[in-house]
Amino acid sequence: MMRTIEVFLVIIIITAAFIISSFFAVLPQPRQVSPLNLRRLALTTLQTLDVDYDLSGTAFESPNDLAWGELQIALSACLPPNIVYNLTVYEVLSGGTQLYTLIHSISNAESLGVSSDASSYLVASSNVTFSVVPEKIGEHGGGGTLYILNCSDANGWWITGYTAHSLAEDLYNLLSPYFKTTIMVQNTTQLAQILDGTSVQGETLQNATVINTVGEAVPIPSGYYASPGVGYDATYSSYARYCHTLGQRVRQYNWTWVSIVGYPLYYVSNTGLFPNEQNTWGIYGMKDVGPAGLNAFLRGLDNQAYSYNTNWITGEPGVVYLSSEALYYCNYYGIYPSPYQTSTRALPDSILDTYNLPESSVTYIFNEVDDWLPGAVLRHIAEGDNKITGSLLALGLTRTPDIRLTALGLLCAFKPRLYRSEYTASGTSRLLVLQLGQVGGA
Amino acid sequence: MAGSTIDHLVSLMVFLGAILLFIGLFNQTIQTAILYQHHRSIATKCSDLLDNMLLNPGVPLDWGKSNCTPTGFGLQDPEFTQYRLSPFSLMRLNYSAGEPVYYSKTGQWYSNITMGFGKSLLVPFNEAVNYSTATRLLGVNGTYGFCLTITPIITVSISEIQSNPLKLAVNVMGAGFPLANANISYCFLTVKATGGEGAYPSYTIDYGTNLTDSQGSAYLSFPSFDGTEESYVLIVYAHLSGLVGVGYHEHVQYDESYVVPFISDFETKTVLIAHSWDVHGEGSSAEISYNATFVLLTEDFSLREMPLENSTGRINSGDGKPYNNITIPTYNPGILVITYRKSAQQSGIVLMPWGISSMAFPVTFGEDPIGKEWVATDIRQVLVNNIAYQAKLALWSLQGYQVIG
Repeated sequence: MMRTIEVFLVIIIITAAFIISSFFAVLPQPRQVSPLNLRRLALTTLQTLDVDYDLSGTAFESPNDLAWGELQIALSACLPPNIVYNLTVYEVLSGGTQLYTLIHSISNAESLGVSSDASSYLVASSNVTFSVVPEKIGEHGGGGTLYILNCSDANGWWITGYTAHSLAEDLYNLLSPYFKTTIMVQNTTQLAQILDGTSVQGETLQNATVINTVGEAVPIPSGYYASPGVGYDATYSSYARYCHTLGQRVRQYNWTWVSIVGYPLYYVSNTGLFPNEQNTWGIYGMKDVGPAGLNAFLRGLDNQAYSYNTNWITGEPGVVYLSSEALYYCNYYGIYPSPYQTSTRALPDSILDTYNLPESSVTYIFNEVDDWLPGAVLRHIAEGDNKITGSLLALGLTRTPDIRLTALGLLCAFKPRLYRSEYTASGTSRLLVLQLGQVGGA
Repeated sequence: MAGSTIDHLVSLMVFLGAILLFIGLFNQTIQTAILYQHHRSIATKCSDLLDNMLLNPGVPLDWGKSNCTPTGFGLQDPEFTQYRLSPFSLMRLNYSAGEPVYYSKTGQWYSNITMGFGKSLLVPFNEAVNYSTATRLLGVNGTYGFCLTITPIITVSISEIQSNPLKLAVNVMGAGFPLANANISYCFLTVKATGGEGAYPSYTIDYGTNLTDSQGSAYLSFPSFDGTEESYVLIVYAHLSGLVGVGYHEHVQYDESYVVPFISDFETKTVLIAHSWDVHGEGSSAEISYNATFVLLTEDFSLREMPLENSTGRINSGDGKPYNNITIPTYNPGILVITYRKSAQQSGIVLMPWGISSMAFPVTFGEDPIGKEWVATDIRQVLVNNIAYQAKLALWSLQGYQVIG
């Protein structure tokens, strides 16, 4: 009898244990087991309503404005019928201990039920002006000088519709914020000066970038740089020798030489030196060098001895497209040229091996088409060396030039960072909090 | 002694009975908890998978505009961030709710989204991404089943109140509320079936704007147009506070034979123009002439016409009568409008969206969730070329439960 009583005592203990464990093991409601992600729904609703910045605009309207009524209609229309909401707008404060103050609130229910979730969304006033401070090229290393050849005594070719001066001005406006120093090289005398290694305004000459704005022509200084053995090839009566010297200078000073359009270095130009010469197309002050100019330049860049080579090396891949890297930097720097262009003077990729321009160091502005490079930054690294000694940015596009592509190519090559200004300036930002609750169901 | 033994036996029996009873009770509680946990994990997976589909553009990025099979599944528009979907990637999904269409002249089956007469999108199966490919690319093949539905939030319905002169009612509704005071912009295209035998139909396009009332309704009158004698189509865009919706209404005088547009090639933007008799095998097999145009929605919500090359042609049915081709000139979403005529009194219009959003077509992709054990769902608001849609994913497990009971 005693044992039966003991068993009943055990049963009472186990029952108590079951009741106590059941009391603590509270199972969630079905809605909590498989919940709608209200936080995400709230965020995506706010993003949808702000697609054309309507929400941002409304957030800065006075609480009595009609726009709030429209927003309430839109909110009710886009949320499922079983979802209730509360949208609250706060002013973002700066300084002090209080971070936010309530501006306005709209809702379609007195309460949001037993469970709710919220998302916040920061909007900016359309009156805000954001400033961007670019990192200067050369700030954390050598160089950082941009030379824009704006030589008044040189004529341009294949820059149809523009003058070298207007292109130089546009390039200055686009690129000078990114360089430590920007120098407009006003004439061929100043060009000779920098070729001699003498700065114009005390700037750093080494690692500079030189943009040739006269298209397929290149300004040639008279005197030393047009003399036999330096700039003039007396044997072939050609100024291709000057292009070889240019290539040597680019290597010597580790410059980035930029050709904005067409066949690089196809003519040499100096209105004082060639007053009665014309480029075979009726442009005076200019002399035809032909393909020998680019060939000589590349030999100079690679420290090869000068030779006169008239082989035409460029090709015509036709329509070409910006590389994915260039497209990315279009958005980063806010420069939007047409993503496809026509290329009729693309460099062959065979020059990469011939002149020690390793493929691994190439920055593609346009996608390579077959074996053609419609636009790229080619960097020279001497055999057995590992440092860059001169670069060529060549845009082998057909006329007329789009200098935004030049700017984009250089920015792709140097990748200066952009430091954006503070976003939460006082009175210019408002915080929207959309809280959603679910009604009905278990 | 005997009493003690009986006492032992009784107590042992009662004890064993009680133990078995409590084991059952505890087991039931544990089973329920495991099931809850399992369901919870499905719900979490559902939310994750939905974000995975909507927040990545797939591989390659522009697979929606090409003919390739993607190696990564994602529906985000590669030109944007957040929940903005590509109208072309959505076009390439095999629409599971529609009856596939076979076109004998190409020998292909087509995925079919049809929203009534003359409003269809037909995509060849060999260029559409099917469900099994998607599950494989998403890594849920054999473990989870899903159904993704993407439906427009704003419904713009249009009905004819009066035919002569034509008066139409436009009703704009959201998911849970009418869209009062919404701006609407419309494009009214009418077919002129004038000319002699075999002449191409001509058309006129009028544009206009209006405002909905507190019930979300607006009335459009066309005083000089007789709806009983001419074919027409009205395309309406409604917008309010960032919400944009699309609606359309068409009235044709003749539907015995008409043109059927098929997507032929996404990369070259080619559309096939087929004769309805070759596709459906019913109606009239007589030759019809057509005249096509392309309209797109601009950023200021107005509609703009874009001319097409080879926009006119004649199409006949039967053997030896080939289909025609039209090339869409842009990857901007728009509507291909094809007017057709058989005679001066027999004309009509068919529409085909270029980019799923331009006609607010819904998308259903995946298996039917009806009858599946414990289906978790989650929703997001998304934008497809600025048209507001709601994306809903239903997910269920294919692996069963490891619970005895």
